[in-house]
Amino acid sequence: MSVRPKIGYACAYTPVALLHAAGFDPHRVLPIGEAPDQAGALLHDNLCPQVKRLLDRAMAGDLPPMAGMVFMNSCDAMRRLADAWRVARPADRLALIDLPTDSGPAARRYLGGELARLAQLLADWGGRAHLGQALLDSARLHDELARALAELDRRADPVTCQQERLRSVSQPFERSLERLGDLLRERAERSVSGVPIFLFGNVLPDPQALELFARCGAHIAGDDLCTGARQLTPLGLDDPSVALDQLAQALLDRPACARTMRCDAPLVLADELRERALACGARGVVAHVMKFCDPYLARLPGVRSALREADLPLLVLEGDGSLRSLGQQRTRLEAFVEMLGT
Amino acid sequence: MSAMLSYFQQLEAGLQARLAEQRAVGGERAGEEGGEADGSIVARKRFALESARLGVKLYTPGERVAWCGLMVPFDLLNAMGVNSCFVEFVGAMLASSGTVEPILQQAEQGGFATDSCSYHRAVCGAAAQGLMPVPDFLVATSCPCSGGQAVIEHLARLYDKPLFAIHVPQRQDERAVAYLADQYRAMAAFVSEHSGQQLDMARLARAVELTNQARELWVQVNQLAAAVPTPARRRDLVNLGVVISLYMGSETGVSLARCYRDEFARKLAAGQAGSAHEKLRLLWLQNRIQFKTPLELMLEEELGAVVVADELNEITWQPIDPDDPFPGFARRTLSVPLGRGVEQRIAHLRGMARKYGVHGAVNPCHWGCRQGSGARGLLERALKKEGVPVLNLEVDCVDPRQFAPGQLRTRMEAFVEMLQQARAS
Repeated sequence: MSVRPKIGYACAYTPVALLHAAGFDPHRVLPIGEAPDQAGALLHDNLCPQVKRLLDRAMAGDLPPMAGMVFMNSCDAMRRLADAWRVARPADRLALIDLPTDSGPAARRYLGGELARLAQLLADWGGRAHLGQALLDSARLHDELARALAELDRRADPVTCQQERLRSVSQPFERSLERLGDLLRERAERSVSGVPIFLFGNVLPDPQALELFARCGAHIAGDDLCTGARQLTPLGLDDPSVALDQLAQALLDRPACARTMRCDAPLVLADELRERALACGARGVVAHVMKFCDPYLARLPGVRSALREADLPLLVLEGDGSLRSLGQQRTRLEAFVEMLGT
Repeated sequence: MSAMLSYFQQLEAGLQARLAEQRAVGGERAGEEGGEADGSIVARKRFALESARLGVKLYTPGERVAWCGLMVPFDLLNAMGVNSCFVEFVGAMLASSGTVEPILQQAEQGGFATDSCSYHRAVCGAAAQGLMPVPDFLVATSCPCSGGQAVIEHLARLYDKPLFAIHVPQRQDERAVAYLADQYRAMAAFVSEHSGQQLDMARLARAVELTNQARELWVQVNQLAAAVPTPARRRDLVNLGVVISLYMGSETGVSLARCYRDEFARKLAAGQAGSAHEKLRLLWLQNRIQFKTPLELMLEEELGAVVVADELNEITWQPIDPDDPFPGFARRTLSVPLGRGVEQRIAHLRGMARKYGVHGAVNPCHWGCRQGSGARGLLERALKKEGVPVLNLEVDCVDPRQFAPGQLRTRMEAFVEMLQQARAS
């Protein structure tokens, strides 16, 4: 397998199949590592900890060699990260792609245009110019990977699953598929124990963080995290002549994160979370939300109210996405699980 | 609800009485809306009066009401006979009237985090207490911030009312203009559907002509305000740019702008400064503090530093074609630097710093604002390179509970001292 240059990205809405089709390996830059806190020099302290951590890593040079960085204009904090990145690393190639908030036809057309702009930028950065069939091939690999990870969720423990998720967003699709194939051959459906809960929120990358839930007596029966089940979802592209439009629609139709709106169903996120929690047999729901994340913070009261209708208790854990921050809330988590278990 | 209506009615009556009193004392100039024969000051009172009138309209039962995001083309809604307002107006109004604290507490008890924007928390608290007029529909905009959009979605669910969302692109190219213009056309159709009011293109064209007239007058107002010393008094410029968008497309918008323009022109002609203390000139970034504070008075009277320009007051858009207004509405929205990348915002602020000849800038860094305050360090760094030092204040512009005037006074004193030294050297 030849080594391809990496393109960094920071948001689960990034069209990673497009990066792959253009001849790059998508590499998710995660808020992990020990880079010193420096982001406050450029951004306000009241900004999303994920964004500040990513900027810390950028300022410290704690990144692999990358041919460029792609940001999705998904929220205020991500937009500010792109601004700060330009200042912190002026030599980096950088793209900021607009991401509509709803999923109607006008939004799809506009996002399709944005993806065409990204494809052109990637070509300028040394990538393949004409995508067509290549995009379909990459999307097929992407979808296989998404399905394999979903299957692994059913067969492996949360720590193993999360380790593989992290690998899958930082190494070539092909290598991840090979590895997942081996893992799936070795494993049958796993047995589970613990109080079933549904976990949602944004970024919780550390595999040990998920292990903490198990140590508190909880079994994560389903999740809706952007570093979890929402990281890779199948795209289903099948027509090379309209592949970018199909990709745009697939991105807009992803399971909703809090920044997404549907005008015909305001706060649909709350209803979807309730339905998914019920479907996986959860006895309670845990929200792990980045501090200062407006899209989630503003919607939590509505989510709580929707869950209450289904008698599903909600525990909200605000933090910075690190194991340390989650560990500080261990007692609350234990008490919640104990309450659900009685 | 009736308490809110009566609050605005009393406010309107009081302001009308005070304006009438001034006219009686000075004798009104025939046919001149902005001027008073004795040179008395009316523009700011007119501004307050129009805000009170808007409040009366919003709270009067039976009126057609829409709650909106900041970037909605209010001239379009005015042309369609809808009383509309951005939700942040409620937070500002509650803060300025000194009634916001229990409302914020209500929102926090309802689960809205104290780290979120207090403009939006106040709206959610007011809605929970039944203090907001129930709208006929809502229009959210993705700009200026994710939080504002989320709050409008929350209100749409709470009131079970139709919602329309506008995605404001970050870019300013023709593709973005066409996309946004199409969304505004779709918004007009949505408004027609839910208000029963068809869009009359002739009426819209007339509204756009009024918008263009107001625009031209506000450009003149800003040019006059840039004079040294400025004719603007301490509170003249507060919230102006944001609130006047509500009156675009109406006679009110034109007459208010003319009132300001004439008042500033008259004062300049008479050699009358807005402040007797202007030694240093300041640019105010983003929002003003909405509750009563001694800071601006202290800046002016004790430290000789006068705010001569507000970032959000600047007119950044070109006249709109009355016969084809939607692309013009889109260009206007996309021209607002606050909604764009920090590079564009910095370029805009550099231009303002030169135009108004400011010595420094004040950035209140509204707690909870990721869109504006989020870029604090980037703005400070860039403006400093331009020779414009920035004072970052850690405040919440709506929530007075954490306000620490002593600490802020010390910081302001040090900042002004530094500006004076820089000037002297």
